[in-house]
Amino acid sequence: MWRNPLLRKEFRQRMRTARAPVVISGYLVSMSALTFALLYESVQGQTLLLLPARSEQIFVALSWLQMTVAAFLTPAFAAGSVSGERERRTLPVLLTTPLSPFSILAGKILSSSALLALLLMVTLPLYSLVFLFGGAVPQEVVSVFAFQLFTIVLIAALSVFWSTVVLRSGWSTVLAYATVAWMVVGTGVLGYGLSLLAERNPIDAFAVRWANELLNLNPLWVEASLEGAVQASPYAWVVFVAVYGVVAVALAIPAIWRLRPQAMSVFHRSPRTKSGGTSLL
Amino acid sequence: MIETRNLCKRYGRVTAVHNLNLFIRRGTVFGIVGENGAGKTTTLSMLATLTPPSSGKAFVNGFEIRRQSAEVRRSIGYMPDSFGVYDDLTADEYLEFYADCYQVPKSVSASRRRELLAWVNLEDKRDTYVNALSRGMQQRLEIARCLMHDPAVLILDEPSSGLDPRSRIELRAVLQRLRTLGKTILISSHMLHELSEIADEIGIIRGGELAAVAAVDVMRAHTSAYRTLRIQGAASAQQWESVLSRDSHVAGLTLEKDGVEVLYAGTLEQQAELLRRLVDAGIPVYQFAEQPTDIEELFLRLTERTTTGA
Repeated sequence: MWRNPLLRKEFRQRMRTARAPVVISGYLVSMSALTFALLYESVQGQTLLLLPARSEQIFVALSWLQMTVAAFLTPAFAAGSVSGERERRTLPVLLTTPLSPFSILAGKILSSSALLALLLMVTLPLYSLVFLFGGAVPQEVVSVFAFQLFTIVLIAALSVFWSTVVLRSGWSTVLAYATVAWMVVGTGVLGYGLSLLAERNPIDAFAVRWANELLNLNPLWVEASLEGAVQASPYAWVVFVAVYGVVAVALAIPAIWRLRPQAMSVFHRSPRTKSGGTSLL
Repeated sequence: MIETRNLCKRYGRVTAVHNLNLFIRRGTVFGIVGENGAGKTTTLSMLATLTPPSSGKAFVNGFEIRRQSAEVRRSIGYMPDSFGVYDDLTADEYLEFYADCYQVPKSVSASRRRELLAWVNLEDKRDTYVNALSRGMQQRLEIARCLMHDPAVLILDEPSSGLDPRSRIELRAVLQRLRTLGKTILISSHMLHELSEIADEIGIIRGGELAAVAAVDVMRAHTSAYRTLRIQGAASAQQWESVLSRDSHVAGLTLEKDGVEVLYAGTLEQQAELLRRLVDAGIPVYQFAEQPTDIEELFLRLTERTTTGA
């Protein structure tokens, strides 16, 4: 994967401009300020007063904030990746190289996730500060980071697939943000609404069943379940990974077809394509 | 090396390319000429595996474009008529990226990049960002990019479009040097005279169909003997025809509102004799002048949708 030429080119391009260090520095400064503010607020100026339970709350708050920021920043980096190539008129030449559609999509997904992954990494020292006071255990932190990383790659993948399918940066950005809004807000509001309904009316089987199913699709909820901050199934993350994995594969198929209709010829019995086949020119 | 058999491309009810049959031998520079919308770009894009044909077959370097598209892509260097470049990459990094796409070994890639940049007169722009290069320089860099993996076939779609006269001359010099590489080159343009300086053979495409194919020297021999004469005068169609049809050097005649346009193959003396005969026939001639000849139009009129061998 690291030999993917598109990935190397994207890294070179993205890291060369002032945008990357500015985003990373700005994010780190904001998160540091927030962490110190939360720590100060929790001890009220007296360091010895810091309790492990309060420290865990800070960890949960920071990781939620990080997940929200990452979820809404990822489409900004990924939603114009393939459509942008088409709009800059670099796509036809790229498609006449031996790079497979899979390599092109993988290169785009990983390069758009890279900066966000870097943002996660630079905040690790802040989490170590929280560790100093106890509360969160290392396994918890590792699982939360791994889940955040997975969510970033997932959102990047969905955004890149939208970008490939609709081939217009404006539309792909709208669709990518609609997807993220559904994941973060839609499932949360619906799931929480249904769980409230289930609490008041426990015999309503529909509400009881679907409240948890919907919340299992919410990255903030799943992350909170990994931190033990909410009462959820220990397999909530498995449901999340499985459902969105299926969605990603379902969207990857038309994306590959868009890039290279011949790559999908396994689905056609006749060697003839229908007239009016797609053109990316 | 490149062969198409009844190649068609339809977009709904519109037929962009209709039953195209083309045979281009190895090492030939083949120019494909036609107006905008004639089907040149669609043809080239099908051969570059970008656009799937509606029907028919095409082979590039012996590989069928649909079933063996990966092999076709490895065999070609394709330059589209309208291309963009990546920002924030130098000319050398730009070529390196494409060398990596074609898995050119690192040991070969560095020296080839140097050679190619020198070959297209861009050695001093090696570390210049591609988006800072002029359009003409970008076109030459694109040709270097097409050659990066040493393909057997080059497909160049209107490489000189959008260039100023100076850049056009510089690019033409590069294209003429391409001939020396012995590669099979398919190059399109909407200007026949431009292609005739580069190509060995020319195909004229109109309305998605191949109207004529000929070797450039055959075409030159056909067209150089002819002149277009514009004769203005007050005469009826019968009067014009009665005099002009008796001259065996008149190859074509088009009646116009105030005169005729004549395709003439005689000498200057025979041309003067024609003018004398018109005056003797009582036709008042106001103007008798040679017009610039559209060689594409002339060639088509002479071949009348037939093909002539090389």
